[in-house]
Amino acid sequence: MLNPRQRAVIDALLPAGVDPGLPGAFESGFDEFYADFERSALLPMRLSFKAALWASAWLSPMLICRLPPLSRLPREERERALEAMGKSRFYLVRQLLLLLKAVCSFHYGAHPQVRRTLGMTP
Amino acid sequence: MRIDGSKPGAFKDEAFDYVIVGSGAAGATAARMLSDTGRSVAVIEEGPAIDPKEFRNEIFPTFKRMFRDQGSQVARGRAFIPVIQGRCLGGSTVINSAIVWRLPDDVWQPWRDEHGLGDALPLAELHKNWDLIERELSVARTPPAVWGEFNRLMDVAKKKLGVSAEAIRRNVKDCQASARCLTGCPTSAKQSMLVTYLPYAEKKGATLITSAKAREILWEGDRAVGVAGAFESPGRPRFRARARKAVIVAASAIQTPGLLARSGVDSPHLGEHFQAHPGCAMTGIFPNKVVMWRGATQGYDADHHRQDGRFKIETIALQPEIVFARLPGAGRRWMRAMLETPNAAIWAVQMRAWAHGSVRERFFGTDIQFSLTPRDLVQLRRGLRFTAELFFAAGAKEVWPGIHGLPEKILPGQEWMLETAPADSRSYSMILSHLFGTARMSLRRSDGVVGPDFAVHGSKNLFVVDSSIFPTNTGVNPQHTIMGIAMLAARRISEARL
Repeated sequence: MLNPRQRAVIDALLPAGVDPGLPGAFESGFDEFYADFERSALLPMRLSFKAALWASAWLSPMLICRLPPLSRLPREERERALEAMGKSRFYLVRQLLLLLKAVCSFHYGAHPQVRRTLGMTP
Repeated sequence: MRIDGSKPGAFKDEAFDYVIVGSGAAGATAARMLSDTGRSVAVIEEGPAIDPKEFRNEIFPTFKRMFRDQGSQVARGRAFIPVIQGRCLGGSTVINSAIVWRLPDDVWQPWRDEHGLGDALPLAELHKNWDLIERELSVARTPPAVWGEFNRLMDVAKKKLGVSAEAIRRNVKDCQASARCLTGCPTSAKQSMLVTYLPYAEKKGATLITSAKAREILWEGDRAVGVAGAFESPGRPRFRARARKAVIVAASAIQTPGLLARSGVDSPHLGEHFQAHPGCAMTGIFPNKVVMWRGATQGYDADHHRQDGRFKIETIALQPEIVFARLPGAGRRWMRAMLETPNAAIWAVQMRAWAHGSVRERFFGTDIQFSLTPRDLVQLRRGLRFTAELFFAAGAKEVWPGIHGLPEKILPGQEWMLETAPADSRSYSMILSHLFGTARMSLRRSDGVVGPDFAVHGSKNLFVVDSSIFPTNTGVNPQHTIMGIAMLAARRISEARL
């Protein structure tokens, strides 16, 4: 189960309402995916993903000179904070965002509605 | 016969004439050849046997079932680089793009002249083997009917720029253009080892043992007499597969050195000289729909700079899960980038790196060390620039390099920027998928691990036939070379007095 701060990270990464063809993370069933991920992914993957969530919640706001956690920021600033991780001069910080996006993409890129929107047979 | 080690009740101790460790391109080819001799053959595969009807077009379930470390294996060095390997019956041939390249003469010549392996790996005999393999695996150039738009666009670029590029030769029969090579071909059109040489060997009497990890070679003095390992079924029961004639290791350049080291093979070259082909992909955005999810997964490549630049450019269709992870932005901007992917083509630089790394067994698992050299980074940037030139020649409106330190989007006329990208491998997203050299072949024991007869130096009846014996990387997709050499090795082993 994701805690509220972790949920805020995922929601900032894949928010609802961007396009009618693209559901938000939690509309698309991210909770079910995460339960499966926790159950079946290898321990190093799970720990790395947790580290990525932690860094996104607690470190990323500081990259845009805001106090953590991410969940206390308005939506625009949450996205700006995550983007700042991707542009950080520190390699590990960039890698943590890449990892966060990669694991979320495991779920999101496989979602039938997302695939239909892209013109792919689900 | 098949033995599924994930189910209770598999054997404890069995004897065969030949015991082969690994069921990928090398192991399956050795099994195909040795099963023709009428002797008993066992193939031991760590991963499961998966029916092609069960292949899914989603990455996470596929990674979990069919890829080593669920797709999370990485090389550590200056940067983390994912190392992609299949872990299932058929090995990486099940999850690769079926690309067929014969070993180029200019790569083989240093093997002969600098490493003295001209007699051990005679090119004329390899060509005969490749002729046979190509007949048996229906190798042909990818026909335009299954190119799909993302392959066709490279053909457009080729004609516009006049560069050397062509539809790729693949071991595929009746391709349905599903763009699903990387998650396992659902129609078995891809002639992977899972649907060709392994069933052939099985029909001739070979035993295919899956979900069975080979832990060590068994010895009597300096003679290899079998393999000990453990099944994946509950309780991890141990097994022994005794070999009356020979143990043949074909576990890949990552697993072979670990198995040999655990078994007491002692050589300063074991696990060293690790070479690879780093791949780095870029995204081109076109004015019209490309829809990379229809077409041959990798149907076209440009070898224009294969010799002078040590790189080749390949088209590739990736599942949305992989495409999304590398798109720029987070939140709404990331999702808007996803909406542009139907207009995207992905082409990748595959580089014949100079870098040498190492593969070692540690307490936490396999430790792969690999860092690009400054020379490699020069080549990589040249390759990326050439890729952008191809994209724009094909009509791309912008290119998304995905390189830290460069703009997110590059427009026509700005290709030069790619050669100014940081000379630091941490700025790039790469993968390693072609792996070589960790038990290299040499004439003398002081120079390598395996002798010209494919036997491990200083041992009897223990042979290595996979790409770990290659003295260098190849600069081209290695499956065909691996198979040609494994065929040669199996023939020699079957003729040897053991």
